[in-house]
Amino acid sequence: MYISLIVGGLAMMIPFLWMLTTSLKTRAEVFSSPPLSFPSGLHWENYSRMWFALPDVTFGTFFQNSIVIASLATLGQVVTCSMAAYAFAVFDFRFKRVLFSLVLATLIIPFQVVLVPNFILYRYLPWPFSESGNWIGTNLPLWVWAFFGGAFGTFLLRQFFLTIPSELADAARVDGANPWQVFLRVYVPLARPALATLAIFQFMWSWNDLLDPLIYLRDLPTYTTTVGLAFFQGQFVGKWPEMMAGALVSLLPMIILFVIAQKYFVRGITLSGLKG
Amino acid sequence: MTSPARLGGLAEPAGPRLGRARSGRSPRAREARWAWLFLAPTIIGLAVLSAGPILAALGISLTKWDMLTPPQVVGVDNYVALLGDDRFLKALRNTTFYTLVSVPLGLVLALGLATALNQQIRGIAWIRTAYFLPLVTSATAIALVWLWIYSPTGLLNSFLGIFGIAPQRWVADPTLAMPSIIAMSVWQGLPGNVIIFLAGLQGIPAEYYDAASVDGAGRRSRFRKITLPLLTPSIFFTGVLALIGAFQVFDQVYVMANPGKPSEATITLVYFIYEAGFRNFKMGYASAASWIMFLIVAVATILYFRTQNRWVHYQ
Repeated sequence: MYISLIVGGLAMMIPFLWMLTTSLKTRAEVFSSPPLSFPSGLHWENYSRMWFALPDVTFGTFFQNSIVIASLATLGQVVTCSMAAYAFAVFDFRFKRVLFSLVLATLIIPFQVVLVPNFILYRYLPWPFSESGNWIGTNLPLWVWAFFGGAFGTFLLRQFFLTIPSELADAARVDGANPWQVFLRVYVPLARPALATLAIFQFMWSWNDLLDPLIYLRDLPTYTTTVGLAFFQGQFVGKWPEMMAGALVSLLPMIILFVIAQKYFVRGITLSGLKG
Repeated sequence: MTSPARLGGLAEPAGPRLGRARSGRSPRAREARWAWLFLAPTIIGLAVLSAGPILAALGISLTKWDMLTPPQVVGVDNYVALLGDDRFLKALRNTTFYTLVSVPLGLVLALGLATALNQQIRGIAWIRTAYFLPLVTSATAIALVWLWIYSPTGLLNSFLGIFGIAPQRWVADPTLAMPSIIAMSVWQGLPGNVIIFLAGLQGIPAEYYDAASVDGAGRRSRFRKITLPLLTPSIFFTGVLALIGAFQVFDQVYVMANPGKPSEATITLVYFIYEAGFRNFKMGYASAASWIMFLIVAVATILYFRTQNRWVHYQ
């Protein structure tokens, strides 16, 4: 049993190992040597060739764009989802259940149904600094939405807020705190692990997203790593070492984040998944 | 001092008392006002980015619109045209095939793997990390790696060559293309399902197993009589997510079919919507396709929920 688990784990890792070994081989070596063999030398030049492959922009630009978009989307989700979750967890008001069901319903709606209307919406929103004069071609459509709540985060945080004893909030209220202060001083600090979970997931989703950046970004210097990588693939057919280097570099931030924060990933899935 | 007073209540600690004196309403009314304040971004988002656009998509689907000239109302023409569009029907068929194969396969494999990983043995944390890693990877980068695995001189053909199996064209082969994409997606989707199942397994009290062992139940019958029934809520939930996710498959198809467009062997619904709307600028046509997809997912989800009573055991 033990042995087969390890063998299976290695099998799961094969695509990663294959990506790594390929990225360090020469192009000739890739086709002549046995597939999973070690590279003859560590050909890091594949990485620099990949990084500087395009005339005007480096892969670093894509990285920077991805970081900016993912960070802003994460900030928006953490702020507005925690506010909504707080309202659903502690207040009593009319239409609470209807509204909560509506929020949850968006979880099971394939978002592609709103692809066209949202594109049209962003096309009519003015923006003086873009070539088009509207939001198309800017990164705005990729993160502004995040400041308007979200089902996953609201649900996850509400579950967490419900576990916080109301005595803590009562004590703060006796001291004269209003609901906003109770939220900031009692709920937010206690919910730090849940907030971290949401942040990590949103960052990952934004980082890995392909469809939206593909639709909204027009110029190479604005591309995210995913769109950049897909563009690479069209440009460098057959240059597997460079392509694997690019894939590996684009995955690296997420892999590092995962190794550091594995328990948050696991918690996010189990909290939102099972406590429904 | 009407509306500014309300905002002032946000900042000053004395606000609530002032508010009570002024509005003279019950604490409940005040609570509701706070609730709406906290929910304001969410409500705007629901209206402007979800509910509104879903209805707008329905409206747009009844028009012909290239976004350069004003939309023309054409009634249900787009829907009629879609049902006669071979590429759309292929997309529908491929997506259905993808869903019907990848969802059950992913669930069964994850179930087996979760059972195996649910043990207290040395180094289990590291072993789990290895299995979980695909969770965080982008489908774009992973599709590139698998494209290389599937390439004529790639890993898979070399491996099969050991057993004397002739090289295949995998994603370039019309019959093998979709199964190849499914294999990759199942590999990538495995960790998410395994994590949910592991949590479910860890929620099963050990006494159940002890009691069954005393009664002489073997490993297999313990799995069938205890583990499986108690895990059905997790399986049900994972199934919903997997079902909805499978219908949205796009990244893998986009990358594996790049730089050309996907052949009719691999085109999926979302790719079709993307192509119609954002490459061919047929907004009405794309919206009609997206509404058909929306309805299919809704009906499939409802039907799936209907089966719940028959096989899901809640404790």
